[in-house]
Amino acid sequence: MKQSRSLNVILGIYVVLVFAFVFAPIIFSMIFSFNSQRFPTIPLGEFSTEWYQKVLADPDIWKAARNSLIVSFSTALIATFLGFCTAYSDFRYNFRFKGPYLALILLPPTIPLIIMALAMLAWLSKIGMSGQLYSIVIAHSVLTAPFAMAVIRLRLNQMDPDLESAAWNLGGSEWQTMRHVIVPFCKPAIFSSLFLTAAVSFDEFAVSWFVSGLNSTLPVVVLEIVQGNIDPQVNAIGTFVFLISMTLVVLAQVFFASRQMKSIKT
Amino acid sequence: MSSNPDSRPNLYALTWRLPIIFWQLIFFVGPVLFMVAMSFFLVKNYRMTEAFDFVNWTRMLTRGFFWDSYWYTVVIATASTVCAMCIAFPAAFALAFRASESTRRWAIFLLIIPFFTSYLVRTFSWFVILSESGVVNAMLGYIGLGPYTMLNTNFGTLVGYMTLTLPLVVILQTVTMANIDKNLIEAARNLGCSAFRTIWQVIIPLSKTGLIIAAIFCFILSFGDFVAPFYLGGSQEPTLPILILDTTKSGQQWPRAAVVAIMMMVTLFAIAFTGIALAYRKGKGAK
Amino acid sequence: MSKPLVVFDKIQKHFGTFVAVKELDFEIREGEFLAIMGPSGCGKTTTLRMLAGLEAPTQGDIRLNDRVMNDVAPHERDTPLVWQSLALFPFLTARENVEFGLKMRGVDKAERKERALKWLDKMGILEFADRDISTLSGGQKQRVALARSLVMEPQILLLDEPLSALDAHLVIRMQAVLTDLQRELGITFVYVTHSQSEAFAMADRVIIMGKGEIAQIGSPKDIYREPANQFVAEFVGRNNILSGKVALLTNDTAHIATPSGDFTVPTNEVRLIEGHNASFVISADLVHISLSDPNDGNKAQCKLISEEFVGSMVTLFLEDAQGQEFKVQMQERELSKFDLKSGAEVWLSWDTASAHVLNES
Repeated sequence: MKQSRSLNVILGIYVVLVFAFVFAPIIFSMIFSFNSQRFPTIPLGEFSTEWYQKVLADPDIWKAARNSLIVSFSTALIATFLGFCTAYSDFRYNFRFKGPYLALILLPPTIPLIIMALAMLAWLSKIGMSGQLYSIVIAHSVLTAPFAMAVIRLRLNQMDPDLESAAWNLGGSEWQTMRHVIVPFCKPAIFSSLFLTAAVSFDEFAVSWFVSGLNSTLPVVVLEIVQGNIDPQVNAIGTFVFLISMTLVVLAQVFFASRQMKSIKT
Repeated sequence: MSSNPDSRPNLYALTWRLPIIFWQLIFFVGPVLFMVAMSFFLVKNYRMTEAFDFVNWTRMLTRGFFWDSYWYTVVIATASTVCAMCIAFPAAFALAFRASESTRRWAIFLLIIPFFTSYLVRTFSWFVILSESGVVNAMLGYIGLGPYTMLNTNFGTLVGYMTLTLPLVVILQTVTMANIDKNLIEAARNLGCSAFRTIWQVIIPLSKTGLIIAAIFCFILSFGDFVAPFYLGGSQEPTLPILILDTTKSGQQWPRAAVVAIMMMVTLFAIAFTGIALAYRKGKGAK
Repeated sequence: MSKPLVVFDKIQKHFGTFVAVKELDFEIREGEFLAIMGPSGCGKTTTLRMLAGLEAPTQGDIRLNDRVMNDVAPHERDTPLVWQSLALFPFLTARENVEFGLKMRGVDKAERKERALKWLDKMGILEFADRDISTLSGGQKQRVALARSLVMEPQILLLDEPLSALDAHLVIRMQAVLTDLQRELGITFVYVTHSQSEAFAMADRVIIMGKGEIAQIGSPKDIYREPANQFVAEFVGRNNILSGKVALLTNDTAHIATPSGDFTVPTNEVRLIEGHNASFVISADLVHISLSDPNDGNKAQCKLISEEFVGSMVTLFLEDAQGQEFKVQMQERELSKFDLKSGAEVWLSWDTASAHVLNES
């Protein structure tokens, strides 16, 4: 479409403004985390690492960080395993009730977290599994398995459908073929999925807050701090969490994209 | 597709098929069904007892505060959806039709980043930015305006909702519109359609499905979020998620919270199904 | 060359309501190069996949060395397949690809390596042994795929359109490689293709399939000169097909009246009935051309429509007054004697023995 220059400029500025809105809270949070003021505003106060020192000196936050790492690591393993099984079943087989089967894994993200949180809390209490770290892991696995499934399913789509048959044809049993063909082929997606689900789990607060009992994760600590009053520690924690999440996401991207490039060339 | 001669599921097939069935039945279907059942339980002396009683339903659904909250949530989530769709559209339009392929890919990558930053921290950041003496009012002060009260207002809530939904809506709109066959738009332009008519009569009908799905997601996210209305809206008027929070966390009234949650799910399903039906209905043809 | 290695005994294959294979009844002889050819959707690939155990026949038995194979899992058969897509493992090197089957069979590491390298050497790609598959050219990948199957030292090798992705000049090279290999190893090749030139260039016997059935089995020459029916005649191409009514029947010849004139044909074993419809073919390379009326014998006066050159061979496309099309194939230097222009009137003629009557089907 040919269109006047000025309109393009206006649209360009508009896009920049939208991005500015989206990134303003992230960037300001980082700036505030190094700012001496308790109520940061313009003009900014002095550069300070006070909030970081406070955060690092707080044993509760260290404990929460440890909990978060344990939870996101375990969640990543379980969700990726479940996602892999489902993606492979969907790829390989046609069976009755496949629609409901897929709905079973894909539905949870469409339900508001607050509802999942309530339902999880009630049910896990009922079966005596609430208030533990593993309670969060269970809930997060349900929430993140669809992402794992999607990532791995996309990878399987790139596989030459003859590859599996070729392995059988060369004398590999189904189990051997799984181990020597399907898993190696999906390896980049499996790593992507591990990082992605870990990142999602690492940030989730609503369900964690409900089911964690006394075993707070980092986002739950943030939630509790925020409920109290304005405390720029939150910005320091947020910046930490951001760095960890982004590292995970970038790793996921790198694994997925680089292998994708390679397989396109094939 | 690789097809096994033996279509009966063997041990191998079941090994891959069953884990998710068991896991989701126990930890997804179980909780949801239990929540439905719980809405009929009774609470006595702060202890929940299993029963089958409609008292929670009648208590909640006959109270004015529930319906006030319900309609307020529907209205503000709708407002959020309308805002997000309108704010996102020009940006998505620009990214879809004016930007190069690589710019578009970078833009989408950037928009994914917020999903992996803590929504709580971002909300807290807005709380500080929008406060009486915050960055925004300080800047407005330089040009002699304000200060304005932005926190604890609907405006604050909407800012929070936009933080949550705008990245997703822009991504979905951009992807949808970028997939439109450019030739159709060229054709419309050649046939003398003005730019605005092209948008209304060609681009929007062609990207209807994607746009509706973006709107549905936006509504679901806003409808279910408790952070923005709580911290930025000050929960003057509690939304349904805040109602759930209050009844669960403070009152131990889980069954009543379950009633609210079920009402929310029913509403969301109704809206999602209507939306999807609209999205996939055969259009009158994009002429 | 005579003992049947594989027997297809009244094989049928249905996918739901779709009948992929109506009924197959044939043998594959030990040590032969058998091509299965037909248009896409004729069931040729399904036939091959059934032999490899990747599809189960709906009815009938497949026997390999007298053993019924129906319930044998694919990985327990010794029927390596060279895939149209090659289906090389992208995450393995060339050598690891070749070793794959041996690894599955539990052959130890040292022997695996030795045998893989031997085959890579035999295929002339030893230097690429440790390269990633994605860095190899089409022809090199092809050789890896062949080595991967042959390293299993099978009795029978299945090939599913293996050359369809290659450039024309590579196809010719690989055809030579395949025929040499087959002769040298003495194992049975079953080669599925839609390409007549590939099948006729390499195979000892050719099966022509159409719509899930065998239309003809025979040597390439039989099929070319004496197509069994109209389907084969049309599929093989380079044939002139004439249809008419049987006018006069003698001992071993028949007169067939067509709109283009009356022609004499040998009856062979085909049962003809006076007054009934009949068709016959004459290979394009058996038709002669002349500028003047050849007087007697089978002849037709035609107008030259166009010419097509392939190397030193030329195919003329002609049409008679009734609109019947004719094709004539000859050496280019022969044609140059006539100095024909498009639209020129010429006479075609052929020996009665060159004509071949088709079974009505």
